[in-house]
Amino acid sequence: MPPHLLSRPLPDAIKTEVERLFLDKVISNLGLCVSVYDIRSIEGGSIHPGEGCSTYKVSFRLLMFKPFNGEVLVGRIIGYDDKGLQVSLDFFSDISIPGHLMQFGTVRGPDGRWMLKTEDGDELYLDLDDEIRFLVSSTKYPPIPIDQKEDDPPFAPMQIVGSIKGDGLGLLAWWAADEEEGEEAAEQEQEQ
Amino acid sequence: MKIQKANAGILTNFEVLDFLRTRGAKVDPMGCLGAVAASECKVYEYLLKTPACNQTRESIYEFVKRSAGFMLAEADKLNVINWRPSSAADAYAMIEECGKRFSRDYRGEACDEDKRVQEFLDMVKEVLPPPPPKAEAEAMQE
Repeated sequence: MPPHLLSRPLPDAIKTEVERLFLDKVISNLGLCVSVYDIRSIEGGSIHPGEGCSTYKVSFRLLMFKPFNGEVLVGRIIGYDDKGLQVSLDFFSDISIPGHLMQFGTVRGPDGRWMLKTEDGDELYLDLDDEIRFLVSSTKYPPIPIDQKEDDPPFAPMQIVGSIKGDGLGLLAWWAADEEEGEEAAEQEQEQ
Repeated sequence: MKIQKANAGILTNFEVLDFLRTRGAKVDPMGCLGAVAASECKVYEYLLKTPACNQTRESIYEFVKRSAGFMLAEADKLNVINWRPSSAADAYAMIEECGKRFSRDYRGEACDEDKRVQEFLDMVKEVLPPPPPKAEAEAMQE
């Protein structure tokens, strides 16, 4: 607890300090901290020799964003490349949908966009800013790299891998407008 | 720092939304500078766009009570509460092994799974409020 916060009421000051430490940060294997849920107990208040700040032992609960495998989420497409799509929930953007986890028949079109060719011959493009519903396939927490080369993409401490292989997954527009087509496709996939 | 319990419980989108609302989050980013941080505001705005934005605690309790006969896993119930399926395709996406689960009814007898899925969807439509229409977004795109 740094000295400049000592004049505030204790629970508020401790909450501010906990927020500063954890809010919007990823804890390995536990997810992204969204908010401090509550503070359960505060003990201590001792001052260590040579420091101006008082030390407390605080027990608190954090609200984490950690989707389980099999959870369904809706996000926006923010990019695409050779390996697949990048999807963003407004507060979290490191979600990728690799090519092998897309619906059967999705290929990369001539201009780089991913596209699904249906049985009827329609070409359904996956465009930027389209809303997409996906299943969380796995979540990785890569360790912090020691050196980073200049053109490496910025380090992402938490990466979610999503899948749109399955009924009801993919662009919202595919399933909303034509429910009949969707059900037919579902029956055909089940037969396969 | 010592982690006492890695997972103290699962929250639905509605519960997170309610929590942020009671802390003072509002859509206007300037209005909530004091009470909540910018990152929490982003989460709040994202959740407002999901079907959780007009759910109530009572509707969720009602849903949990009524879904007891369908033998769903916790994860399935969470998906359904968060995203409110309105068609059979949605239900198949959100419930794992949907065909197998719905092939037996609550008495354990075999039954037609499509009919069962439809019963489930009707119950969802009745208990959970529909998400507000995205009329504004469409108007802006035009």
